[in-house]
Amino acid sequence: MKKIIIIAGLILPTFLFGQLDRSIRPTPAKAPTINIKDSEVFTTPSGITVILSENHKLPRVSFALSMGSDPRIEGTKAGMSDMSGSLILSGTTNRTKDQLDNEIDYIGASINAGKSSISLSCLTKHMDKGLTLMSDVLMNANFPQTEFDRIKKQNESGLLSAKSDPGTMAQNAESKVNFPNHPYGEVMTEASLANITREDVVNYYKSTFTPKGSYLVIVGDITKSQATALVDKYFSKWSGGEPYKMESGDGQFNKGNRVIFVKKPGAVQSVVQISFPMKIRSGETNQLPLTVLNGILGGGGFGTRLMQNLREDKAYTYGCYSSLNVTEDGSWMSIGGNFRNDITDSAITQILFEVDNIGNGYVKDEELNLTKSSMAGGFARSLESPQTIARFALNIIKNNLAKDYYQTYLKRLESINKDDVLTMSQTYFTAKNCNIVVVGNEEIIDRLKQFDTDGKIEFLDAYGEVLKEVKKADITKEELISKYVLAVTQTTSMKAAQKKMKKIKSYEEKTDLSMSQVPFPLKSTKVWVSPSTEAQKLEGQGMVFQKSFFDGTAGASTNMQTGKKDMTAEEIASKKKAIGLFPEMNYATSGMTYEMVGIETLNDKDVYVLKLNDGTTESFDYYDTKTFMKLKSLSINKDGDEVTESSSLFSDFKDINGLLFPHIVTISMGEMAFSGKVTSIVVNGKVDISLYK
Amino acid sequence: MKKIIVTGILAIIALSTQAQKKIEYLEYDLPNGIHVIIHEEHATPIVAVSILYHVGSKNEIPERTGFAHFFEHLLFEGSANIGRGEYSELVEKNGGTLNANTSQDRTYYYEILPSNQLELGLWLESERLLHAKVDNTGIETQRSVVKEEKRQRVDNQPYATFITEMFKRMFTVHPYNWAPIGSMEHLDAAQEEDYVNFYKTFYVPSNATLSIAGDLNVEETKKWIEKYFASMPKGQAINLFRDFENLSDDDFFKRYSVAKSKFDAKDFMNSKSPEAKRLITSYSNKEVEIRRPQKDSEKMTGVIKDVIYDNIQLPGIFMGYKFPAQTHPDTYALEMMNEVLSGGTSSRINKTIVEKKEMATFAFSFNYGLEDAGVGIMAAIAAQGINLDDIQKEFDAQIDLMKNELISQEEFEKVRNQFENNLVSSNSSIAGVAENLADNHVYYGTASRVNTQLENYMKVTREDIQRVAKLYFTQDARVILHYLPKEK
Repeated sequence: MKKIIIIAGLILPTFLFGQLDRSIRPTPAKAPTINIKDSEVFTTPSGITVILSENHKLPRVSFALSMGSDPRIEGTKAGMSDMSGSLILSGTTNRTKDQLDNEIDYIGASINAGKSSISLSCLTKHMDKGLTLMSDVLMNANFPQTEFDRIKKQNESGLLSAKSDPGTMAQNAESKVNFPNHPYGEVMTEASLANITREDVVNYYKSTFTPKGSYLVIVGDITKSQATALVDKYFSKWSGGEPYKMESGDGQFNKGNRVIFVKKPGAVQSVVQISFPMKIRSGETNQLPLTVLNGILGGGGFGTRLMQNLREDKAYTYGCYSSLNVTEDGSWMSIGGNFRNDITDSAITQILFEVDNIGNGYVKDEELNLTKSSMAGGFARSLESPQTIARFALNIIKNNLAKDYYQTYLKRLESINKDDVLTMSQTYFTAKNCNIVVVGNEEIIDRLKQFDTDGKIEFLDAYGEVLKEVKKADITKEELISKYVLAVTQTTSMKAAQKKMKKIKSYEEKTDLSMSQVPFPLKSTKVWVSPSTEAQKLEGQGMVFQKSFFDGTAGASTNMQTGKKDMTAEEIASKKKAIGLFPEMNYATSGMTYEMVGIETLNDKDVYVLKLNDGTTESFDYYDTKTFMKLKSLSINKDGDEVTESSSLFSDFKDINGLLFPHIVTISMGEMAFSGKVTSIVVNGKVDISLYK
Repeated sequence: MKKIIVTGILAIIALSTQAQKKIEYLEYDLPNGIHVIIHEEHATPIVAVSILYHVGSKNEIPERTGFAHFFEHLLFEGSANIGRGEYSELVEKNGGTLNANTSQDRTYYYEILPSNQLELGLWLESERLLHAKVDNTGIETQRSVVKEEKRQRVDNQPYATFITEMFKRMFTVHPYNWAPIGSMEHLDAAQEEDYVNFYKTFYVPSNATLSIAGDLNVEETKKWIEKYFASMPKGQAINLFRDFENLSDDDFFKRYSVAKSKFDAKDFMNSKSPEAKRLITSYSNKEVEIRRPQKDSEKMTGVIKDVIYDNIQLPGIFMGYKFPAQTHPDTYALEMMNEVLSGGTSSRINKTIVEKKEMATFAFSFNYGLEDAGVGIMAAIAAQGINLDDIQKEFDAQIDLMKNELISQEEFEKVRNQFENNLVSSNSSIAGVAENLADNHVYYGTASRVNTQLENYMKVTREDIQRVAKLYFTQDARVILHYLPKEK
């Protein structure tokens, strides 16, 4: 313990105010020496590389374990690894989640887990107990179904709130456009979340959390002999297979600038993020000069070109920064800030100017020196955190750096000159292949076209998925319905259509269905009898799997496995709203709620979108804007919390008794998909409805 | 010879059973009123230089809100000897970093520098205090920047207005009524003169605490402090000097009836002319009066329930209770009570509302402790399809439980361990130590509290926790805000 300094009575020289020339700036004293203590590194028989950095300033210790597996592409299950990470602390074979949470909090510790890491931080006096818990989680996490369901539901809500957070929206768009088909381009959506099962999560955890190739970084108030003993005690029983390895690409390089817009109704500010990928990986020699370049452009601090221009000079923003991300699996540059609506375009102009301008000539000596000094200072300040020293050791091992890489860091930094910086901007920056992501109010869209090389702004949704553009329809919903009726009945007036339909008394349609999951052919039959009886059955291999009927007032459906179920009053009420061979003919009187959404594109065709609600189900119908034929029908079925979409695509329209019917129908329900070929349509034939009851 | 007053000598408290390591420091007052705190520590070759000005949004007048925070921006514009934009450049160029923040109670500025640049840090802070640039150019630029900050951090962030909305309803008398970000209209309406007066009132030596920590030599540091800070005029003389620097000959004469030429520009305080000497002496003896509001004494008398529409997807509920000022002894028990409710995954609110009942995606409670009052906040962002009133019932059930039953011995041990861990971690950086020392000096009257804090928490009993729950969770006097999505 240091002596307490009592300074009473101490005599100090007195400066008289006037004698001090305040315009003279202090000169620095001799630069302090920076000593980076070597970390201890050893390997366990099971393949864990242990890195130990002792620091006895505070009585704390941390154990951070990271896996040797590479990130994966998850595609339709995007978010699976994150789900797995957030479930690791959900209980073990020895402890329920409640017990685990309680025991962790009891010692004031924190244990965190991610998709490929798990770490413990606690006071040194509690480390034995802390490691007991950490190693239990590591080896015995059991992913209870209830917790899986809960976290899944939580993620659903999380996705909803992410939809209102402009920063997340911009981030999602940025990842998607820079890194398609790359682990960095994975964004969880409602659909991908729905696809994730508990088995996926367990399998991911089992294949990823394996000692081979993993790193255990121990930092803090602990000695080597303590560390060695603890590693042996708590991690020697941990076993597993080979880590997952995959080479990720460099991302997608554009020809020209793309403007990507994400709509945020009501926004008072736009989030702008201008980004592009770069071909460089962590540990490469260029990383340091590139970091200097980023520092001059906008990598933090108030003195950067971006801050001086956009904040100090033009007062466009509270902050505008560039961030350089160089990693083992892909690298990119991202520049951005928040700007009020009316100057969003001006801000983009200035950012693009700065990105371009920095490659047009040498940077100034002052800014180079400023950045280098600021990086040197940042390096010194970072040494205050014991974690830094451990991270250095980890980087040296992971990236095959020279053993004295960080000892010589300041010397290498000092030697970087203007030529090096110019080479960097000319190698990695062009300002001509930027992804300009803007999240904001639609009112500013027109002013963004100028930045897009081909003048076409792309619209993405909150998750970075392509947004279906909706145009305003040029006809009303009533006009659409009558045009459709005229088209299918091939008549020129509603009167003529009604007259023609009066002659139709019954209808029977047989369809052959094939489905990849079912090895034998399926047949479906659909019938209708005037005015409001209809029925349907699905059969194959001599068995009827499912049948249903409705006679205008009551109905039922029969499933081979679950038996017969009468229609509920609610279902009947809904069904009544969509009755008829062409239910559209009755919308005006049946009570169906319908509205025109606008014009979207469907397989390169413009279609009118009609939104329907029959009281229980919301659905959408899509009509060709040229032929007025119905090309698609999509309904959203809610059963409790479960939401499934089912859709049918119609094509190959043929004339039967003067009416047009589709002859190819593709149906998808949730994960199942059928393709159907209509084999026969009989109009006004005999129909036996009892076959369907 | 100026006397140096020792205002604090550490009381040595044996905390042998606790892990907290004692923080050594020394402190003294300069004759002009600046309070100095120095903490020496050589683990990393860096130093933190900070000044805490005891001015926050609560010192503003209702027609001019946002001033304190605005100054946090303005005072980076430069000084008589530092050009525009040069302030931050000087720090960055010399390997340092700087920032500032403003609360209802104080404005805090700091630099973290390589230890060989300590003198630079002291000079920079002394320039800011003595004669910062408060002119129209800077005011214009920073007005726009602050407006952007408000858009980014308040208007465009989901739920971010909840503190403003809560305080507005809870404090109708005390200036906690408005948030530090204040009103943009007020900033627009204010004239240069208003800004200059704010500077002259609050940015004076007697309102400043200089706190320095890190790899330093105490004797050398004290010499530099003497050079740059002790030399500053005392009382209103500092404003006399500022006017001497900024006003034209005419304006200066109009104000003081003494010509500027009577003063010695190079050696102001030792100006030879009798008129100048007289003026300097009389202004040195005139204290700068700082308006400080009365401590909040307003009682809430009923339940205030309101709906706020925001750009959000999920509804949220924010409940507020009047808690005592942070210096009140009950604060320790209240904070431990909040830890039981909301500290860590195993806390009561998280276990019930988030995990078991799945009513919220996120729920928490905390004590927003301030110098003149505190606000206990309980909040949740609803899970999809959950009614906010149902969440409120759940919160109320938790409050009842806290009032009606003692927390279990196990929970009690748990929160004690959690506090021990938190306090050890709070002093892990020298910047954190400098700030903690300054805060404790200003709010609690003694920097030494950094070393006794843990002891105070450890004195809290289970009965204390139950008692404060009963006393402060007033179900018939609280604010309940419902955040609902704006119609698109």
